[in-house]
Amino acid sequence: MHAVYNFVSGPLVWVSFILFFGGSIYRIVSMAQMAKKTDPVVYHFWSLKYAMRSISHWIIPFASENMRKHPAMTIVTFAFHICLFIAPLFLFAHIILFKASWNISWIYLPDTVADVMTWIVIGACIFFLVRRLTQPEVKYVTSFSDYVILAIVAAPFITGFWTYHQWVGFRIMGIAHILSGEIMLAAIPFTRLSHMLFFPFTRGYTGSEFGGVKHARDW
Amino acid sequence: MRSIPMKQRSLKISLIITLIVTLMAAYTVHSQEDVKTVEDDAFSERMRPIVPFLHDEHNENALIEECGVCHHVYDDNGQISEDETSEDNQCSECHLPEKSKNKTELIKYYHNRCKNCHQQRNAGPVMCAECHVKK
Repeated sequence: MHAVYNFVSGPLVWVSFILFFGGSIYRIVSMAQMAKKTDPVVYHFWSLKYAMRSISHWIIPFASENMRKHPAMTIVTFAFHICLFIAPLFLFAHIILFKASWNISWIYLPDTVADVMTWIVIGACIFFLVRRLTQPEVKYVTSFSDYVILAIVAAPFITGFWTYHQWVGFRIMGIAHILSGEIMLAAIPFTRLSHMLFFPFTRGYTGSEFGGVKHARDW
Repeated sequence: MRSIPMKQRSLKISLIITLIVTLMAAYTVHSQEDVKTVEDDAFSERMRPIVPFLHDEHNENALIEECGVCHHVYDDNGQISEDETSEDNQCSECHLPEKSKNKTELIKYYHNRCKNCHQQRNAGPVMCAECHVKK
């Protein structure tokens, strides 16, 4: 067990960080170059003003028409994305590991708050799963990989919750937790999870075209 | 009211003092021999359950004979002193010197002491829940 723990909490962390940060830079740079070559209008019509106007309407809950039409999805998706970032980044146990490895630390959440946030993430993943399985318009655009991605995102939270509460098999779950977190990080640049990187650009361009060319709103 | 003669009273007082001192000494010796947890007064609020630690049993198993392996003292040159040890001090006395609010600093030293040694020797607990056992 020591060898496995040392491996997943040592070299594999570096592999996942390199894939995540390196992959993110690679994806953004290569996408920018491709757009320049094959779709130069993106650069031509890009407007910071209209981009920011659109982005701001899509990162504030219920600030767009589509969000108002789907209140349940809006609440769940906002709660999900907020908890997805806040819980792991401000988790006491994670900060202790950052402190041990790099001697840096920052504020952390009480464990009960982190626990509730973990529940929200897991619950939201179930909501997204049911939505993909039942809503015809969503089912139509769903492929097998979407379920895999959902599992990749849910796994670190389920295994983390299990490990924290020290349920049966918490050692294996702890290893699975570290490993699944690394898989998720590494998967971000190379799967549809890359919307984390591309959201400001896709939304920003749509906003630029609607605002600067069509003189219309896109929210 | 009958007053106790001066000599008799001072004898009583000294007997009581002797008894208290003996009890305190016995308690101190007893608690030193029987360390069962890792404790430090600096941890007023605990984020995790206290770590059970059977001092003597641990050191027998780990073949640790020198106190200074854990209870070290650094000399002025930043080297671990070979002649001095620090069993009577809490770790926080050196490792959290300025009543710092950032307890992660002290936690780091505790984890480095226990976990790093376990990792190097491929023995002993290394994962959170292996030490901080919930009751």
